[in-house]
Formats: sequence, structure tokens, C-alpha cells
Amino acid sequence: MHATVRSVIETASSADGEVCILDTEASPEHLSRGTAKYADTMLAIVEPYFKSLETGRRMAVLAEDLGLERVALVANKIRDEHDLGAVKEFAEQHGLELAGVVPFDEQMPAAERAGQAPLDFAPEAAAINAIDDLAARLMEGNGRA
Amino acid sequence: MKLAIAGKGGSGKTSISGTMARLLARRGHRVLAIDADSNPNLALTLGIPSERMSEVPTLPRDLLRRTEHGVQLTKSIEEICESHSLSGPDGVTLLVMAHPQHAGTG
Repeated sequence: MHATVRSVIETASSADGEVCILDTEASPEHLSRGTAKYADTMLAIVEPYFKSLETGRRMAVLAEDLGLERVALVANKIRDEHDLGAVKEFAEQHGLELAGVVPFDEQMPAAERAGQAPLDFAPEAAAINAIDDLAARLMEGNGRA
Repeated sequence: MKLAIAGKGGSGKTSISGTMARLLARRGHRVLAIDADSNPNLALTLGIPSERMSEVPTLPRDLLRRTEHGVQLTKSIEEICESHSLSGPDGVTLLVMAHPQHAGTG
């Protein structure tokens, strides 16, 4: 499947205004097989604890090795300043960009329990707002390349 | 933009992928969301009922051919999407690479 994913991303349109979003496998292994090689940006979603940050870092290194234009972390489920500080410190230590911060939001697991899209379940949720901000900034940043 | 979203299981990568796909579509972008997880859940966070997954056949395994220029798809992405993708809320197109019943096949 990995080779097919890679080719699909390669041929997907990157014309102005078109976006291709790839939800990758949870294990970093697929990255060493080059699934994301033809993406221009990779975001590694991390939670504020070591194992998650370390997995994100490994994924970021693999994506950089693949030659992606932009590789960054996005902090998720951030509860307070302490959580945010931990992610910022980790990113700084390893020279990684922190592209966005999504707060911990009870509405996200609640949507999952209800079997609904978060955007339909709680459109005004703080986490949704943060994801929307991130989306807007990504598209702005895209113009710079 | 071609955006890959990665992360450890449970990190929220799929919730963020699905939500961002729809929000970008609302901002006027044409969005193709690709679920490459062997345990695909992107449909749910996009708001596509899982029953609808059975509307599309599994991707054939002979989609690739080796040429002198390397490995290429035997069909265009438009052709693949036409027969194998689902249309979701806000006009997001979803392409699922591996159906759950075929997980682990490669």
C-alpha cells in the first residue's frame, strides 16, 4: 500500500487553491518507506509527554530526510502553560518548528463517543478554533514557497 | 498544498486531519482527504457515516506499474477518485487507501 499512497500523493494536484490532506499511519515506519515523500508539508501531532514528543521528533527527522519543504510539530491536548512550556522546550532543543497549539478540549473525545465529526458536534469548540487558525496560517505560509 | 499529518496513535492526528480538511473546504479550497492509516477512521471525523464506506470498492492492488521513469499509477488520480472516493460534508473528497477488512495487506 505504501507505494500506492506515495504515487497518489505524487500525482495529486497542488494547483493554487487545491489541498491534499494525508492522514498517515500511526507508526513512523511508513515514513521510512517514503509514503509522504511527495507532500510539501508534514505536521507531526504531539501531546505534551515524552513518548509522544519523541515519536513526533522521529517522524519529523524522517520527513526532513525525505526532503519535505516544511516539517513542524503541532501541540495537541494542551491543558495549561506547563504543557505548552514542555512542548516549546522540546521543540527548541531539537530545532523543530512549532506550527500550532490546540488546547485540550473535552468536546473532541465527546464527539468521538457520539460518533460525530467534531465540527458537527461542537462547531464552537476551542480546539476547532485553534485548528481553523492553523489552517489559515498554513495556507498563508504556503504562498511563500 | 500537499499536507501530511502524522503522529502517534491517540495523538489526535485523525481528528485534526478531518477537521482541518473541512475547514479548508469552507475557506474555498478544493480538498482531497486521503486516509492512509491501516485502521481508517478519517471518514468519521469528516462526518461521513461508516456505512457509506461500503459504497466504494477497495482500491485494486494493480494500480502501479514499473516504467523506465520509475513506478507510476496505471490510472489518473481523477479516474481513481471517480470510482473509489466518497464525497463528504463541505464538499471534501475522501479517498480511503485500505478498507478495515483488508488491513495489514500491505
